[in-house]
Amino acid sequence: MEQSTADGLQAAGVRRSFGNVVAVESMSLNAPRGQVTALVGPNGAGKTTLLLVLATLLVPDAGEVSVAGFDPVGDPASVRARTGWMPDSFGSYETLTAREVLEFVAAAYRLPAARRAERAGELLALVHLSEYAERPVHVLSRGQKQRLGLARALVHDPPVLLLDEPAAGLDPRSRIELRALLRGLAGDGRAVLVSSHVLAELEETADRVVLVDRGRTVSQQRMADLDLGQLRPWRLRALDAAALTAALDARGVDHGPPSPAGVEVLLAGDAAAAELLAALVQDRVAVVSCAPVAGSLEAAYLAMTESRR
Amino acid sequence: MSARTALSGVLTMAGHEFRLRLRAGRWRWLLGAWFIALAVLLGLMRLALVRSGEEEVGTPMLGGLMLLVLALGLLVVPALTAQSVNGDRERGVLATLQTTLLTPLEIALGKLLAAWGTALVFLAVTLPLVAWCMFEGGVAIGRVAITLLVVALLLGVVCAVGQCLSALLARSTTSAVLSYVFVFALTIGTLVVFTLAVAATTEEREVQQRRFEYTTQIAHPERVWWLLAPNPFVVLADAAPRVEPELNRRGRPERSTVDPLGAMGDAVRETRESDQGDAFASIAPGDREPGGPVWPYGLAFNVALGVGAVALTERRLRTPYRSLPRAVRVA
Repeated sequence: MEQSTADGLQAAGVRRSFGNVVAVESMSLNAPRGQVTALVGPNGAGKTTLLLVLATLLVPDAGEVSVAGFDPVGDPASVRARTGWMPDSFGSYETLTAREVLEFVAAAYRLPAARRAERAGELLALVHLSEYAERPVHVLSRGQKQRLGLARALVHDPPVLLLDEPAAGLDPRSRIELRALLRGLAGDGRAVLVSSHVLAELEETADRVVLVDRGRTVSQQRMADLDLGQLRPWRLRALDAAALTAALDARGVDHGPPSPAGVEVLLAGDAAAAELLAALVQDRVAVVSCAPVAGSLEAAYLAMTESRR
Repeated sequence: MSARTALSGVLTMAGHEFRLRLRAGRWRWLLGAWFIALAVLLGLMRLALVRSGEEEVGTPMLGGLMLLVLALGLLVVPALTAQSVNGDRERGVLATLQTTLLTPLEIALGKLLAAWGTALVFLAVTLPLVAWCMFEGGVAIGRVAITLLVVALLLGVVCAVGQCLSALLARSTTSAVLSYVFVFALTIGTLVVFTLAVAATTEEREVQQRRFEYTTQIAHPERVWWLLAPNPFVVLADAAPRVEPELNRRGRPERSTVDPLGAMGDAVRETRESDQGDAFASIAPGDREPGGPVWPYGLAFNVALGVGAVALTERRLRTPYRSLPRAVRVA
């Protein structure tokens, strides 16, 4: 059955407990096709449990779930055929080569025999592991295994991707490549759900963010809407720090002490920053940089977890 | 889903698992040790038979060999499957397998096939020794085929039960220990329970024989013979076709050769005979009910056990999980 492109991933009021430990109390999220949705929350917030429900491994105690238009409990096979899942921690068949692992997974997803070797080659190239194709998995580094895990999730070209901490253990170059890869996958019309702690990464990758804490969805919004009207620190740097602080004082903008990194000011969003910058340029201050001290995602995350401390 | 898809799923799983097994172990050494141990024992057996004046050594050699193969097989095989499922979970590869399109039954059967196949490799390595027995002469081909088949089936049952335990229990060490306990129960356990049961069902009866009056004890093995039936050695011995008795000079049937399997089989069948306790009645031949074969019951019991084990494994592999056993993580 062909699904419309609107069918990404929807979950509403999902609840799951293990014995008397409630792992997920009430989580809702929406991951539309063509977008990268970030699932963000502290350790133990229930992210992995939610992903296990979406990946057809756990029956939720309550709630409605639809993955690619199918119910993971009622019709797990249809969901599996359309979902690529990469767990947060996973093992691998250490004695097999990278190519053999992917060919087996391809067979397990019932790709025709003639297509398996070809698909394994494509995926190895995609995650830059071609030169390790014939090497046993146990010689791969952690980051390389992580990339193999991602390739594994993509074997059957699924329209929905569930990636649990895909950036863990990746070196800076691999992270940048992962970012481009995720954007590309979403660009092909896939629904990509990524959980991660590396907020700076998600900031540049995600279209939407779902903040979760203690088993509940705290908020769910577009990244662009994240910091509307919220005061947060920005850092300004100019060729002449004294001129900068003088200009700020003249305009009555509260600021912190000058440091080699620059001067911090509190601003409410991008528009306010642009306005201040224009004014400073008008005052002939040679500003060389103006950027938020922390990403908007980090700020939202810190605001959410404030109460925990 | 078509049967063809399912078969290819099973074969995919079996091929994968077999390759993992092949790369993991030092099979050459293990199989070599297995072969040498059996060859040395068989050689000793032949020497002993020849020295004791036996003329046809083929039949007793084959019987002894098959009993040895079964005994060693029962020692090796539990280790093959005791970690099939929980070992995969511990290594973090089970959940990603369960989210593929392979069904739980395909996973269970594929894994079993690979383990059983490994056990059969051990059996195949003993084929040259079987050929040696046949070369000695006097061994019917049917006897060879049936004993090999029975041993193969019994090893398969142990594989299935071990795999089932690995699916039921969270820790692979626990399931390994329990697999060996299972083999112990099947071999020694049945024997102990049978012996105790015979003692427990023994009756005392007053017998009056002309002027003598005495109390005699009557055992009733025919009430509890089935306790012995599941024993793999009993199944093997009793299933082996009997050596045709030759007629002696008086025209009476007489078994000329020593046959360990046949002797064991006869002993087991005797337990099915009802002894009414009439001490003198048994003198007249034909009065006693002949004991029927025991192996069909034993083999059926074991095969049912194996099928049940696979069914239970399949159930435990089904996802999504509603409830999880204690100490089990999904992924």
